[in-house]
Amino acid sequence: MSDSVIVETSRALPIVSFSVSQASGATEDPRGKAGLARILGRLMRRTAGGRGVEELDTQIDTLGGTLGVGVSGSVFAVHGAVLTRSIEPFIALVEEMLAQPGLDENELERLKRETLADIIETRDSDSDTAQLLFRQHLYGDHAYARTATGTSNTVTSITAADVQQQHAARAQRDGFLFAFSGDIDASEAQNVATRLRASLGAGTGVSDTTPAPRFQSGRRLMIVDKPDRTQTQILIGGSGTHAQDPDHLALCVANTAFGGTFTARLSQEVRAKRGWSYGAYSSLSYDRQRRAFSMWTFPKTEDAGACLKLQLDMLKSFHDNGITLEELDAAKQYLQRSNAFSIDTPAKRADLQLDSKLYDLPPGYHDDFVERIGDISLEQANAAVRARIPCDNLAILVLGTKAALGQTIDDAIEGLSSRSVVPHDQELVD
Amino acid sequence: MKQPDFLEAINAAAPEHGAVSYQGSLPFGDALHIEAFELSSGLRILICEDHSAPVLAFHTWFRIGSRHEQPGKTGLAHLFEHLMFNETTSLAKGEFDRRLEGAGADSNASTWLDWTQYNVAVPSGQLPVVIELESDRMAHLVLKAPQVESEIEVVANERRYRVEDDIDGAMSELLWATAFEKHAYRWPTIGWMADILAFTTEDCDAFYRSYYAPNNATVIVVGDVTVADVVERISQAYGKIGREQLPLENNIPEPAQNGERRVEIRKATATDKISIGYHSPALGDYDYAPMNVLSQALLGGRASRLQKKLVREHEAASDARIFLGPFRDPGLLEIYASARTGKSAEDLLEIIDTELRALQSEPLSCDELTRAKARMELGLYGSLETVDGKANSIGFYEAVLQEPAAAFQRQQSLQRVTASDVLRVARRYLNPENRSIVIVRPDSPDGEVSTAEDNHE
Repeated sequence: MSDSVIVETSRALPIVSFSVSQASGATEDPRGKAGLARILGRLMRRTAGGRGVEELDTQIDTLGGTLGVGVSGSVFAVHGAVLTRSIEPFIALVEEMLAQPGLDENELERLKRETLADIIETRDSDSDTAQLLFRQHLYGDHAYARTATGTSNTVTSITAADVQQQHAARAQRDGFLFAFSGDIDASEAQNVATRLRASLGAGTGVSDTTPAPRFQSGRRLMIVDKPDRTQTQILIGGSGTHAQDPDHLALCVANTAFGGTFTARLSQEVRAKRGWSYGAYSSLSYDRQRRAFSMWTFPKTEDAGACLKLQLDMLKSFHDNGITLEELDAAKQYLQRSNAFSIDTPAKRADLQLDSKLYDLPPGYHDDFVERIGDISLEQANAAVRARIPCDNLAILVLGTKAALGQTIDDAIEGLSSRSVVPHDQELVD
Repeated sequence: MKQPDFLEAINAAAPEHGAVSYQGSLPFGDALHIEAFELSSGLRILICEDHSAPVLAFHTWFRIGSRHEQPGKTGLAHLFEHLMFNETTSLAKGEFDRRLEGAGADSNASTWLDWTQYNVAVPSGQLPVVIELESDRMAHLVLKAPQVESEIEVVANERRYRVEDDIDGAMSELLWATAFEKHAYRWPTIGWMADILAFTTEDCDAFYRSYYAPNNATVIVVGDVTVADVVERISQAYGKIGREQLPLENNIPEPAQNGERRVEIRKATATDKISIGYHSPALGDYDYAPMNVLSQALLGGRASRLQKKLVREHEAASDARIFLGPFRDPGLLEIYASARTGKSAEDLLEIIDTELRALQSEPLSCDELTRAKARMELGLYGSLETVDGKANSIGFYEAVLQEPAAAFQRQQSLQRVTASDVLRVARRYLNPENRSIVIVRPDSPDGEVSTAEDNHE
């Protein structure tokens, strides 16, 4: 079995799931061309083998399959699932999509118009709007601030030549990882991967050149003004963790106690005690470079200032005092036992193996997770919190109706260093 | 029907309400079976051994949803679902969640028109903890005013998130309130805001005593367990809880709609939206399967008729979706579309109407039927990958149809649907006099978005 092929077999259901992934995504879109990788992936799906989109859509449905493209900042992936009885013609279709897309120019223009409409549609969702603008507020001009969908200006600027160049750069056999799960064995999976690889040109694809982000100093507030809101979206974040940090897992355990579960401090104080927000979470994620620590709540307008102040006070207490031994033990036990649900289906097991390769995770990151969590001490967890959790250097975003919020948000932030107000339909920049 | 050997010993040691009767075995797909039991209290127990992973799912489905509420008290079933995570006579506040998380549990709950369900998934070996906690809160919940008041605030915030500040949620709520005039499906499961804010601890206590009884519930256990062990533990834990006299359901069937109803609202959005609801058959109706195929052919995938017309051919919509309500009583077939800039709700309606008329005059092609059925087959298998997915399927069909293995039986019904069936239901249900329409217009009449210029202060 090649290193680039992952398979998790289960004959329980007559379906096969797969993904063909590359460890570089939208952060590698050329400046001014944000959205290019996503447009390419979708265009490949719509023009596989030089055929028309209606013919392809009809064939995929007839086979009992799904076929899509997922582009995040760091990954470009073709993924799908199909009834076992249709695996052969389905893989032929995937081969055409990867190696022989027509990349038809009329379809490209249609896809661009669809994408522009999607960008406008996204603004209807307060949480999506807040997340997109928060990423820009948090990461500034770093590539992690960019959106995989692109902006109105960048999508409009994408040409057929851009797409062809992007395809030539990505459709290279050594740039892909193959993962299969379900009703397929190792030998069958290897044969499919060999066939798909053989259809591609030589080369290693697009490399991820994203540098480490630099988080800005100060407590910086962005108010996103949207009319007629009854509640707010509050996002707070700053420098977080990197999977290669020696204290990465210790910080994850501490975050679980602070805001990772329903019984964690944040949810108990904001939701259970005060009823201020339906949800209250903090999160850490991994990538190939350092990612952010962030908190998310959505209190009603009248409670927004008090909720924000409470969160900042809790963050300071978390930073200064860490967590208790009781909290540590509860978080460790939860993480260890609930790990069973990261590996309970063949698709999830394949995804974890794929993640390890795509994100260059340390050896044994997932395989030894339970044991390594068990080894973390209170001193390690709290040292990680003191070293990593930001208190003074924070990006703070509040989406709501500015006139109704008045001065309450500014007043809630001690040591506010800068403040901006943007309309909710603010164009993103690239 | 031969009773399992282990039952005799369990019944010999059963508490007052815990004597177990065996109700038979049902195939659940090709490889699994559902074993059905009932306690003397009326609690149904459905167990499906699945040893594919060292985990199990434990669901409790109560036959109580927003359909059982009364005007002025809407949202009580949903509020109560939240309150079920509070203290009991033996567990302090917060202890329920702490013990579940300590077991590594993935847990949640949901309420809809016909039912309320509580789902817990834990690693193998944690079954005793779940049974102890779930049986305890079925009978010994403690409701105190401060916790009820705090949870009312949480639910009000959930409503702001899902309805007040969400266009889709606001439209769906208005559509059902417009389409239904008599039946309890006319109010939203989350309840009207005024009702939510007015609930008292006494309201919640009365609701608990009325509906949270073993004879109004089914427990479903799927995963790495043995049937005998599950039955014994449930008999011991739940057998102390007696049955209750359940309130009579006082619902009024919705009369036939005799004319199109149309409402229009304004929201902070850049483009028009439209939502159309046709009264449609109940989940158990013979017409449901052909309506399901019809909905797939209309908007079930990229190759579906309306997707092609609305999104590709006319480039009129940025988003289009369809939803066929899976309810005990007749619900709605909802068609939703969001217009692109420069297109109106009327443009979308014209395209939709043209396709609906075509469905009423010409049968689906053989290819369309095949595609719709293949999509639904893939969807079924995808939903059953986890033990939680299997428990959810069993619990849902048990709660709505009293047919726990119906997922597979209905898959067979779908495969038998013909073009004639689809033509018939299109003519029966997709008529303008049988529909309600909600249109959303942008707050600013020209639909223009604000200036993109940064306004730094």
